[in-house]
Amino acid sequence: MAADQSYAAATAANRFGLGIRPGENAVLNDPALWLAAQLRAAPDGARTFDGLPTSFDYMQREVEFYRRRNQRKGAAGVKKGAAEPSQVNALRESYQEAFGADLRREYLARWTIAADTGTPFAERLVRFWSNHFAVSTDKLRARLYALPMEREAIRPHVNGRFFDLLLAVQTHPAMLRYLDQGQSIGPDSRAARRVAERADGAPARKRGLNENLAREILELHTLGADSGYTQADVTEFARALTGWSMPVVAPQRLDPGAASGGAFLYREAAHEPGVRTILGQRYSDDGQDQARAILADLAVHPATARHLAGQLARHFIADQPPPPVVQRMAQAYLDSHGELTAMYQALIHSPEAWAPQGRKFRTPQDFIIAGIRGGDVAVGTNPRLWEGLLMRLGQPTFQPHSPAGFTDVASDWIAPDAIWKRVQVAQALGERVPRTDLDALARATAVLGPHLDAPTRQAIARAEAPGQAMATLFACPAFQWRI
Amino acid sequence: MTKVTRRRFLGTLGAGAATLTLWPGISAAATGSETRLLVLLLRGGLDGLHAVPPYGDPDYARLRGPLALAPDSAQPASKLDGTFALHPALAFAAQLFGRGEFMPLVAVAPPYWGRSHFDAQDCVENGTATPYGAQTGWLNRAAAALAGADGLAIANVMPLMMRGPANIQTWSPPLPMQVNPILLQRLEPLYGEDPQLAAAFANALQSQGQGESMNDMQSGGAAGSNDAMEQNVPAGKAGTLPGRLPALMKAAGSFMAGADGPRVGFVEDYGWDTHANEAAILGRKLKELDDAFAAFHGAAVAVWPKTVIVAVTEFGRTAAINGTNGTDHGTGGAMFLAGGAVRGGRVGGKWPGMAANQLFEQRDIRATTDLRAIFKGILTGHMGLGEAVLAQNVFPNSGALAPFDGLLRA
Repeated sequence: MAADQSYAAATAANRFGLGIRPGENAVLNDPALWLAAQLRAAPDGARTFDGLPTSFDYMQREVEFYRRRNQRKGAAGVKKGAAEPSQVNALRESYQEAFGADLRREYLARWTIAADTGTPFAERLVRFWSNHFAVSTDKLRARLYALPMEREAIRPHVNGRFFDLLLAVQTHPAMLRYLDQGQSIGPDSRAARRVAERADGAPARKRGLNENLAREILELHTLGADSGYTQADVTEFARALTGWSMPVVAPQRLDPGAASGGAFLYREAAHEPGVRTILGQRYSDDGQDQARAILADLAVHPATARHLAGQLARHFIADQPPPPVVQRMAQAYLDSHGELTAMYQALIHSPEAWAPQGRKFRTPQDFIIAGIRGGDVAVGTNPRLWEGLLMRLGQPTFQPHSPAGFTDVASDWIAPDAIWKRVQVAQALGERVPRTDLDALARATAVLGPHLDAPTRQAIARAEAPGQAMATLFACPAFQWRI
Repeated sequence: MTKVTRRRFLGTLGAGAATLTLWPGISAAATGSETRLLVLLLRGGLDGLHAVPPYGDPDYARLRGPLALAPDSAQPASKLDGTFALHPALAFAAQLFGRGEFMPLVAVAPPYWGRSHFDAQDCVENGTATPYGAQTGWLNRAAAALAGADGLAIANVMPLMMRGPANIQTWSPPLPMQVNPILLQRLEPLYGEDPQLAAAFANALQSQGQGESMNDMQSGGAAGSNDAMEQNVPAGKAGTLPGRLPALMKAAGSFMAGADGPRVGFVEDYGWDTHANEAAILGRKLKELDDAFAAFHGAAVAVWPKTVIVAVTEFGRTAAINGTNGTDHGTGGAMFLAGGAVRGGRVGGKWPGMAANQLFEQRDIRATTDLRAIFKGILTGHMGLGEAVLAQNVFPNSGALAPFDGLLRA
């Protein structure tokens, strides 16, 4: 293979993919074509996720739990606020156990697809968008839905129109709960008036508009910060979004429409009536379609194009991506009226994206996945090990603690303690590499390609045991980078 | 149900991860009369001349320079007899020696004398005269020959020595948090060349108490933990936590002590490849090994009288030290037998001497005993395997190699 070609293959596999797997040769023949082919269909994985409950299933079980709990409480004559009797605790525990088992399957499927996928570029895009539309499971009522959101809302749309992706995310219970949308009520909506009438002059229980989702859509999901929208735009958008909700709004509050058949529920009564004006554009009151029309315009806004292109380029090329590439990507996106693949194509056809000197620091998740793939390490049947490693390395799955997601630049991840823990994890990974017919040096050559320099090669060759040789590979500086 | 908290999630996931429920009936005191054999493979090439210093050999002090140890050193080695002593870190082993339950053997090696880690380890594990001479391991074949004996490998992936027809369970703690000092030595120059990572790596070594380890770490210095990963124990802080190997040996001891526990066990360790700064690294590693013997003993008191532990490595190291206060790959090395069934309290093996004309290729201790002869001696006397089975199945084509005699109590 020509030198250029071997660099290109390494770039495709590592910078754009999830790290090379032994025997994964397709990338070597035509690296650019290998990437492009992954944009033509949905990413691998449908079978891996077979049999997992849908968000609607989860929500039905939530509904069922509250119904049974309230029955038991009523039967036991428990007053509001009093301690729960033991039969309620038992009920709670049985549901928790079942949800815990489902969560294990969800996490395991996510690790399994990362290890096995034949479309690692598409899989990386899935994870990019998951982080772009970050939900954090430390918000307890979003916890059950974060992993399903990736399966249900992101994965099917990752190679489609951004609007479809955006809409699927904003109507998913994970996002609706994480950013408190389900509880937002228009101040002049029927629901608000009902509450006021019932209060009959007494100070009403404080319920009303919640701007959280509207603000993050503008700031993080579409236009980007400092793109010119105002607080008035945020408030108007929040008003338009009122009514977007789900059957179980929050624990202990069931909506009568719970049996309506989906995990998304438009609650007409909570919707703020009236025309809305956002970024100078008027939107007539079409109920739930009002916010949908706003999302459609936001999706193809030039600021959104720049924001998305900048983030994608930062994710794949460099912490400070070359402005011309960002410009080309944004333009391709606008020219195609919001097709994500047009933006991806512009990315992979940019010579800057293939520059051998470019590099991105592997996030902890990337690092572990690349180790699993490069070492042909069995994911096993219990995701606890991998989730625990990620937590130690500071990137617990779906717990970024912020709607901005995990950081994507090297300086945030490079710290002495982090490097030390990587060496520990490298050792743990090295010990898990199957040893039958293992040639660590050949493996290192396959994994790092032309980036395996002589000192690293020597360090690996000198290791006292195959597991330690693989640990050296995983812990060496070159492996910490997507190059 | 939103109380499916993270802690609860992990708690549910983690249930049983490190419990000893693998073997039914393990809680009962051992009542079986069956003997136990544990092989501990020290990967990397333990320097026998540092662990069991032949202080009485006329050439030893000259060849070893600053690495030489003796009963009258600043840190006195335990005198075993007129020729050999034991490294001061091996304190528990020295006690066992005094009770007649510990026996170093010197000048031993597998039949392969080629100085490659991988080839030598392969040979030690496959039980033939050549690297890659078999796809299965001799300890597995021995377990298969012991009717109904299960085996236990304390490892994440099945090591060659335990591969084969017999039923072997594997067990490992969730995550080793201790970092192999040799791995750090190998990484240090690589990180030095990466402008974005060099400072972070150097600081990590410093703050983890390893900063001086590359230069003049004192024995017993940095240790690590292998605690469950979700425990937020600061890993690698100097001297505060038990090492990886003792934890593995404790687990092995717990499993094997059960009445229905495995009769055959395997534990492996690495980090013995001491090309530089050997005194510091071996000071730490031998302390760990000593703690490991003690940990197994503590966990397996019930079966200790019926136990033989065989600690073995793939080769010894050069007779002379190199230019970086370390030693390079050699040939004849040392091994240890420990346990109540061992006829210890003496040093075994035939010492070939360290004079230039006595060394193998004028650099290594000449191996005078084939490791397989030791293994055979234990498998016959201790585990009751017949010589024919040993010569054909366990160590193929080894009929000419007699079992080493006198290793066991009558």
